[in-house]
Amino acid sequence: MSAFVRQVLAIAGKDLTLEARSRERLVSMLTFAVLVAVIFSFALDPTVRGRSIAGAMLWVTVIFAGMLGLGRSFASEREQDALLGLLLAPLDRSALFLGKFLANLLILLVTELVIFPVYALFFQLPLGRGVGGLALVVLLASVGFMALGTLFSAVAAHTRLGETMLPILLLPLLLPVVIFAASATQHLLIGRPLAEQASALRMLLAFDVIFVVVGALVFGAVVEE
Amino acid sequence: MTAAPVLEARAVEKWYGVHPAVRRVDFSLAGGEFLTLFGPNGAGKSTLLRLLSGTLRPTRGEVHLNGQPLQYGDPEWRARIGVLSHQSFLYGQLTAEENLRLYGRLYGLPDLPGRIEGRLREVGLWERRADAARGFSRGMIQRLALARTLLHDPEVVLLDEPYTGLDPHAARVLRGVLEQLKDGRRTVLLVTHNLSQGLELADRVAVQVGGRWISDEPRAAVDAARFEHVYTERVGGAR
Repeated sequence: MSAFVRQVLAIAGKDLTLEARSRERLVSMLTFAVLVAVIFSFALDPTVRGRSIAGAMLWVTVIFAGMLGLGRSFASEREQDALLGLLLAPLDRSALFLGKFLANLLILLVTELVIFPVYALFFQLPLGRGVGGLALVVLLASVGFMALGTLFSAVAAHTRLGETMLPILLLPLLLPVVIFAASATQHLLIGRPLAEQASALRMLLAFDVIFVVVGALVFGAVVEE
Repeated sequence: MTAAPVLEARAVEKWYGVHPAVRRVDFSLAGGEFLTLFGPNGAGKSTLLRLLSGTLRPTRGEVHLNGQPLQYGDPEWRARIGVLSHQSFLYGQLTAEENLRLYGRLYGLPDLPGRIEGRLREVGLWERRADAARGFSRGMIQRLALARTLLHDPEVVLLDEPYTGLDPHAARVLRGVLEQLKDGRRTVLLVTHNLSQGLELADRVAVQVGGRWISDEPRAAVDAARFEHVYTERVGGAR
């Protein structure tokens, strides 16, 4: 295993260990997501079938729950100035980005594993049909979301109003991912075949590549002075 | 014959806008030398350490390690320097052993279990290796931070106010560990505003006020009582 991969895994492993011990991000993300589902279920006009707007509801919930987690992504590095400790190590800044991105992605995927069944239960969504295609959309959209989110959570961690700044910085750039993810999810939930979503999937993949590569390249400039 | 310098600052300056933090600092440290840098709060001592560690770029001037100019982003440079700050750089929810393992992996160190055991025994924390760092006292945290600093066996050690917040017993224990750094191999720069602690281990003594070095002399030439008097007068006068 190369030194770079070992560094990525060390950072990801550290973040996941910290999360497994505190569970502060998962608990807040899941609580928020379930509460939003409950609010949607009460707020929606009973004559509106939840399935017809489920894609949008799901991704609004995922994005805001994910943002809640991202806001805490650098919390452990702020305590005792651990980020400076990491920067003092001969650690490739791209490895630091990819390690944190990987941990953020896994935490989001675990949250989504709960959010989607909860929405299926509340709004009678047929998740069983075409679950493979849905999983692909979720994975591709989550990669782009977390790549951009990891980069901007580092930017926000360096600003005085960090947690307030994060959605303001992140949401405008995330819009294309949300649009393609919500549209593809919606079509899959109403039973359209995966093949019809090929262009949306290609766009999500393109955004993933751009966000991961740009994130890895510019992360050093963001975290260093 | 003068030993070749290991660490050099050549006309190093750091400005934040129009405010100077470090002003034209020139010095060189030979291998095995232990220099204590005194100065009041706000003198720019910590900024100087960050410039020397490569985590901050100087506005002007250069830092050299073994004659080579600092290349920012060069991992080789960082692998040869150890920094102990008043912040520990540790993760409270990880155990003492896990903290060292994390840093050991980032430094790509061989024989990590053996190194971790050796460092934890040196700082007297081997028996507490499985305890989370957040349950440690300030003194234990600082000793664990020292173990982290020395884990990769750096040739240059930069110590930024390591005694901050320690009670007399913890300070004595830390002093014992720092004394072991004077093994002739390591070049050490200790930054403090505590005169008695700073003078104890030093081979050379320098004073920084308002970002400038106003004195730099061998410890043997310094009389502690006179130094304290002169330091208080000059620092007071400069404020």
